[in-house]
Amino acid sequence: MENTERQITQKDIERVHFTNKESQDITRPSLTYWQDVKRRFLKNKLAILGSVIIILMVLFALFGYLLTSQNYYRQDLTMTNLPPRLECYYLDDETLLYVNSEYSLYTLDNDGTVRERLEPAEENQMMREKTYEVNGQKVVLNYKGAAQAAKARKQGDMQLANSIDTFTLDIGGKTPEMQKVWNKTYRLGTDYLGRDMLARLVYGARISILVALIATFAQFCIGVLYGGVAGYLGGRVDNIMMRIVDIISTVPLTLYVVLLMVVMGPGIKTIIIALGSVYWVDMARQVRGQVLNIKQQEFVLAARTIGASAKRIMLRHLIPNSMSTIIVTLTMNIPSAIFTESFLSFIGLGISAPAASWGTLASDALGGLRSYPYQLLLPSLCICLTVLGFNFLGDGLRDALDPKLRK
Amino acid sequence: MTKYILKRCVSIIVTLFLVCTITFIMMKAVPGGPFTTEKNLPQNVLDALEAKYHLTDPLWKQYVDYVKGAATFDFGPSFKKDGVMVSDMLAQSFPVSAKLGLVALIIVILLGIPFGILAALKQNKLPDYLATIFATLGIAIPTFVLGTLILYVFGSRLGWIPTHGLDSWKCYIGPSISLAGFSLAYVLRLTRSSMLGVCGQDYIRTARAKGLPERTVIFKHALKNALIPVVTYIGPMTAGIMTGSFVTEKIFAIPGMGKFYVEAINNRDYTVIMGTTMFYAAIAAVMILAVDIAYACLDPRIKFQD
Repeated sequence: MENTERQITQKDIERVHFTNKESQDITRPSLTYWQDVKRRFLKNKLAILGSVIIILMVLFALFGYLLTSQNYYRQDLTMTNLPPRLECYYLDDETLLYVNSEYSLYTLDNDGTVRERLEPAEENQMMREKTYEVNGQKVVLNYKGAAQAAKARKQGDMQLANSIDTFTLDIGGKTPEMQKVWNKTYRLGTDYLGRDMLARLVYGARISILVALIATFAQFCIGVLYGGVAGYLGGRVDNIMMRIVDIISTVPLTLYVVLLMVVMGPGIKTIIIALGSVYWVDMARQVRGQVLNIKQQEFVLAARTIGASAKRIMLRHLIPNSMSTIIVTLTMNIPSAIFTESFLSFIGLGISAPAASWGTLASDALGGLRSYPYQLLLPSLCICLTVLGFNFLGDGLRDALDPKLRK
Repeated sequence: MTKYILKRCVSIIVTLFLVCTITFIMMKAVPGGPFTTEKNLPQNVLDALEAKYHLTDPLWKQYVDYVKGAATFDFGPSFKKDGVMVSDMLAQSFPVSAKLGLVALIIVILLGIPFGILAALKQNKLPDYLATIFATLGIAIPTFVLGTLILYVFGSRLGWIPTHGLDSWKCYIGPSISLAGFSLAYVLRLTRSSMLGVCGQDYIRTARAKGLPERTVIFKHALKNALIPVVTYIGPMTAGIMTGSFVTEKIFAIPGMGKFYVEAINNRDYTVIMGTTMFYAAIAAVMILAVDIAYACLDPRIKFQD
């Protein structure tokens, strides 16, 4: 060292101009790994979008009840199947009339607050006519068209069926003006038992988030440890542990969950147990692979030479270093858990009434799909958005945490 | 390679044996036994029923009988439908589901792989964006939502496809598309990303540098390697299509295995549930074995592993 220093002469030293020096100064600050991850993540627009969707869903689950005055289990059989957007008819300045698909007449305030279902003063079954008395005016509802439309539909002529007006309203001899208003009492409508859809969607969001939490917890507590131990110990232990995982994953996880649900009976507790007991397998595999890789590296050897215990090496060295894999696997598996829950609820194995999950809501909507598609669309939209959100987040995290995996 | 395949075979037999044991234990763990739901059965009738279904035998004998039965696809009689054997139900409904599943599988392979390749070759151009959007959406839409939407839009609104049954070829359109949807999106995404990965490899550059025609480079050098992860996914995909059939068959009212399964679950018909589960597990295992063999043929690295 000293030798080389002596060989440097004055000629070799050049005075750095101030401006030059300054230009040298403006270098990027050196980033730690996590700072770098954060930077890459924030640059990814889709990942941000995904996180926003997820945060909104969580907020919706937590505070969604503030948006509605109804609760998720109260049934009102006079208020069944009211859509969020009502095609109303003008009666007078304060009252609107709405006819539902079973040809009952409702009165509404002109801002969209649903008042009540009216009882007909007179009903003529032969002529398919109902006569009402509303605010002193005579309203005649004729639903002859319904039978024609049904007939056309039976014959398979959908165009004709869709073009027929199923009913006509007549107020004092005149056809009233149509006016579309948003439903103010039930902002997202009601279901087939007159329960508020918004409140039920909030409840469903809570279930989905609970499921996401369970899946996370199971993967973290069982999957990471299982995979970590198998990878670290290696040899015969690893072989046996991984054969068990192989065997478990040969049969589709859904089958196990279905079996568990059948035996334990549907309910939220069962979902927790069922999902928790199977959703760790993928994580165990990933972590094992990662640990196998890391434990060959020098720092683990160094830790071992200074006498660190196996537990310490696992918890302080191996697992923190496989964090990127763990996080990515975690976010990728959450949508699959949410899918599984809604699928189970859909086939009648998940949450049971009056509690609601997005899957049960979609399943309930099947019966009246033709007349009330919003009952299917709302929960479906929620599922799709949440899953999309998690997928975007997962992709973004993968790109941010492990740039090598990109492409 | 023989050793590899043999090893897989053994592991699958162990799996099936394990599933068999689990289903048996679960069936025994059901509180109250299969006849408790029937109201007010006199004791002697109950005894007779239990004797008929060999429930009075010692547990180990029941277990041995069950395993023996399962090995020959004999899962005993249905508890809820009188005089119907589970194996008969399976024999009747499986071909229906299999046909539907096969159509879905063909859709996935014929559309997913070519469009995935196309997307990869036209990276960051219109076809790629379209394919990516399609794949992203397809993965986020659950089978039951896709199925009901198809049923609602094309079945009841437009009337283009029948809403139930499997009488003509038209009937297959709705259910097979909804069954294929998720896997199609996944295969497309997988093919695209794996193709992109392979195209960045040095040997592709070499192939191009030595002047091979682009077709040879893509189909012979790139595709063969890019397909390995896709082939690996076909095993789990079959499982996905199977579980997807639960809801698809429910939605489109198709008398297949999935519909029976859901019905059995709702009726708590335990022998049917367990038998069908065993059958599903067996199919999944066989499919995974088949994929493993295909994998071994496709990827020469496997040959040198053991």
